[in-house]
Amino acid sequence: MARTFDFDPEDEEFFGTVGSFGVPKFDNEMNGGVPRGFTIIAFTETGSGSELFAKQFTSPAEEPDNTLYITTDEGQQEITRIFKKYNWPLDINVRTIGEEYNANVLERDLLASRYRLEGFQLADIQRLAQTRFVDDSNQDYLTEVTNEIMGCGPYFRAVLDNLDFFLQREDPSRVISMVRMLQAHAQMVRGLLMISVSTDGLNPSIKQELSSIADMVLSFKVRTIGTDFENSMIVSKFRNAPENLKILVFRVTPEEGITPETVERIA
Amino acid sequence: MQSTSTYTRDRCVTGIHGLDEILRGGIPYGSTVLAAGTCGSGKTTLAMEFLVRGALAGEACAHFTATEPSVKLLENIRQYAFFDMNMVDSGLINVFDMDVLYSWLGLDKASFDLDDVHALIKSIVDIVNTIGVTRLVIDSVTTLCYKIKSEQLIRDFLFTLGKKLATLGCTTILISEITSATENAHWSSFGVEEAIADGIIVMGDAERMGHLLRFLQVVKMRGTAHSRAKHAIELTPLGVMLIPMLKWGASSDKNSRWGQ
Repeated sequence: MARTFDFDPEDEEFFGTVGSFGVPKFDNEMNGGVPRGFTIIAFTETGSGSELFAKQFTSPAEEPDNTLYITTDEGQQEITRIFKKYNWPLDINVRTIGEEYNANVLERDLLASRYRLEGFQLADIQRLAQTRFVDDSNQDYLTEVTNEIMGCGPYFRAVLDNLDFFLQREDPSRVISMVRMLQAHAQMVRGLLMISVSTDGLNPSIKQELSSIADMVLSFKVRTIGTDFENSMIVSKFRNAPENLKILVFRVTPEEGITPETVERIA
Repeated sequence: MQSTSTYTRDRCVTGIHGLDEILRGGIPYGSTVLAAGTCGSGKTTLAMEFLVRGALAGEACAHFTATEPSVKLLENIRQYAFFDMNMVDSGLINVFDMDVLYSWLGLDKASFDLDDVHALIKSIVDIVNTIGVTRLVIDSVTTLCYKIKSEQLIRDFLFTLGKKLATLGCTTILISEITSATENAHWSSFGVEEAIADGIIVMGDAERMGHLLRFLQVVKMRGTAHSRAKHAIELTPLGVMLIPMLKWGASSDKNSRWGQ
């Protein structure tokens, strides 16, 4: 049986029907912001600015306790540095899956290789003889992340940057199912969810499925013009508001982060 | 109790009541002995007492447990008066969980390939060499070999391990789980362990007048003469006791097969 939520009228008034992207000019272009309950899938290219946008998306943090930033690539220190640089709130929940994976899995693999190659030292043997249980480091990060986002309450704001980590390690159909569950959860509790996925090597059928699940599809692109780079965001899907489909060329300013400059409507 | 002065120098005196007499003084040093037995026949207790007697004589001992967690093994063995937990705490008897060893070596997977087998041999030999282990028990080699898919690889593993441990002067008991200890039975699960081992000790149950008696029989022991008679085993709080099962002249025995 489907769960239902009773929303507090005060919350409804406070949060409204749309939330900010964290980029005021982008909010204006999207007729006020992103509707509550939307799941945004961002297809990204290397160097296109999507990581910064992902962080900026959490910056409105209406309720810091209910705002979650999950990254698979960056470390805690780097994230803190960026949030400080742009004066974004530091009291949101951050989970660095990449760091956890390095500590739990890669370091263990490295140690195993060392033991296999160099053998055990006396101290290793003493420790081995005193170790009675196996460290269960075979964590199912996909389930953990799904549960973590599903555990967010009404009007949550969450970013998962990015899905590549899971697509490379898990059965893609399992990852798609997870995205479906998260989209349903965001819709039910009027949350805002952004999930990024790199287009480099992305299977077209997976891209198609993700696009169909998403309420909004954003593509981040970068191209060279002369000796300069030009970054752009393409809104290629906006559920029930096709007038929002646009191409936005943006630059990064020290004050505001990602700032759209020119806008072109998709015909 | 036995007097150790009667034993020759090249023997590893097991210290188990009755076993050294059967072996004419003990297991030849550096031998790899297969202790094959049915479930509940006393293999683990016998092997643990073998280590305890060694530890009491000041030898460094190691026990690799694959069939049950070491915590459970130690809890079960603590009921015996011959066992003292201080031997484990002080490092005289080093108990290793195979699951932990697998995890440390990145071997927590369903089956082992050649590299994995070599890594496992290297680590066991490393341990024996580094802490000077002279008595080693692997409980059980059957559980361990289930992960090695090819018979050739099992043969390689046991042969190489046995050879390296012998070079280091380590006397090893490999426990083998078998389903039957009758005369037609194999003494190992994979059929290769018994051919490679220097010695084979078979343990099982024999039914006598409505009672299920544990028995032990030394089938093979390279490098020493030994009794091949069946001996009844009694697991007492003080340790394993072996009593010859001689002149069981009941007429029914003449027609019955071993252990039946």
